[in-house]
Amino acid sequence: MSGKDFTNATDFALVKLARRGNLKAFEELVARHRDKIYARAVSMVRNEDDAIDLSQEAWVKGWQRLKQFQGESSFATWMTRIVINLCLDQLRRQKRHRVESIQEMDDESGGAERQMPVVTVNPTERLERSELRNVIDVALGKLSAEHRTVLVLHEFEEMEYKEIAKTVGCSIGTVMSRLFYARRKMAALLAELKKEK
Amino acid sequence: MNEEQQLKLQALLDSELPEREAREILAWTQRDTAAAALLTELRNTRQAISKFETHPTIPESREFYWSKIERGIQRLEAVPTRASEASIFFRLRRLLLPSTVVAVGLVITGLVEYSRMGTASAMDDSDAPTVEAMADSDATTYQDKADGTTLVWFSVPEDSQSTPAKAPGVAN
Repeated sequence: MSGKDFTNATDFALVKLARRGNLKAFEELVARHRDKIYARAVSMVRNEDDAIDLSQEAWVKGWQRLKQFQGESSFATWMTRIVINLCLDQLRRQKRHRVESIQEMDDESGGAERQMPVVTVNPTERLERSELRNVIDVALGKLSAEHRTVLVLHEFEEMEYKEIAKTVGCSIGTVMSRLFYARRKMAALLAELKKEK
Repeated sequence: MNEEQQLKLQALLDSELPEREAREILAWTQRDTAAAALLTELRNTRQAISKFETHPTIPESREFYWSKIERGIQRLEAVPTRASEASIFFRLRRLLLPSTVVAVGLVITGLVEYSRMGTASAMDDSDAPTVEAMADSDATTYQDKADGTTLVWFSVPEDSQSTPAKAPGVAN
């Protein structure tokens, strides 16, 4: 298969070629899925430069582990799992270096959010799609890394509680608690940002 | 509403409850307005987030972005070569180490024996047998003037884990 043909090749065919050491085939896979992998990294670490580095590191790891890809999920999903794990490692490193404030400890328990009044307004009403995207992005940025991670894995990656617990390395109860807190906080933030608009 | 009930509501929304429990929680939301309101809020939030995810694109050209990945892969490919070189060295070292230990042990034993015999010969008269290690070779000489016997040992260089062979030569 020549370089010209790569654009028509399936991901699986490209993976097979890349496994045999064909770097051009792998480059085509990178070109196809690089934005998705980068977007997931941005949603988790909230820093564009870090997200670029992490996504590139994920691709290098992907190349290294190509033999482990069995095709049970799509190649893009498999690569997304790699970048998610790298982002989690990065967030853990950052957490170790961060002095946790009382506010963060309160955030972790989510005690205050459980008592918040229920938001009755639908945040998607009367907002343009682009506006809503922007509002959601801003609100996500205001969550702590732990809560954002659980939310991203559940809502964007459509992982079940059990799978999130395994990926993050915590109990299912913690996943449920963090997800609940994150959603309630997001509801409040979306209502607030909508009011500002 | 306690924490457990709140989390059960959320689990209902996420289809994470067993069928029977899901029916019970659903029935509860139909009786309890606060529970129904919280379920609605959670549902609206979930829909808003999942439907309106942002999709940022990489602010770099394909070539520039790929170049760093390519360098990373090349570095990765170089590592196994160095590792295999290192493994040859380690395998050689593993073979040589026991041989060296055996050789050093023999040298120490030889030195102790030699020193003991030297002391003994100094105390005896001149006709007593003598043992001498020759400084410029690996040979050791045993000489008994009274008997007219001379024995010479040549140490063979060490190249395996077995004990060194000694080749005695006899001269009368």
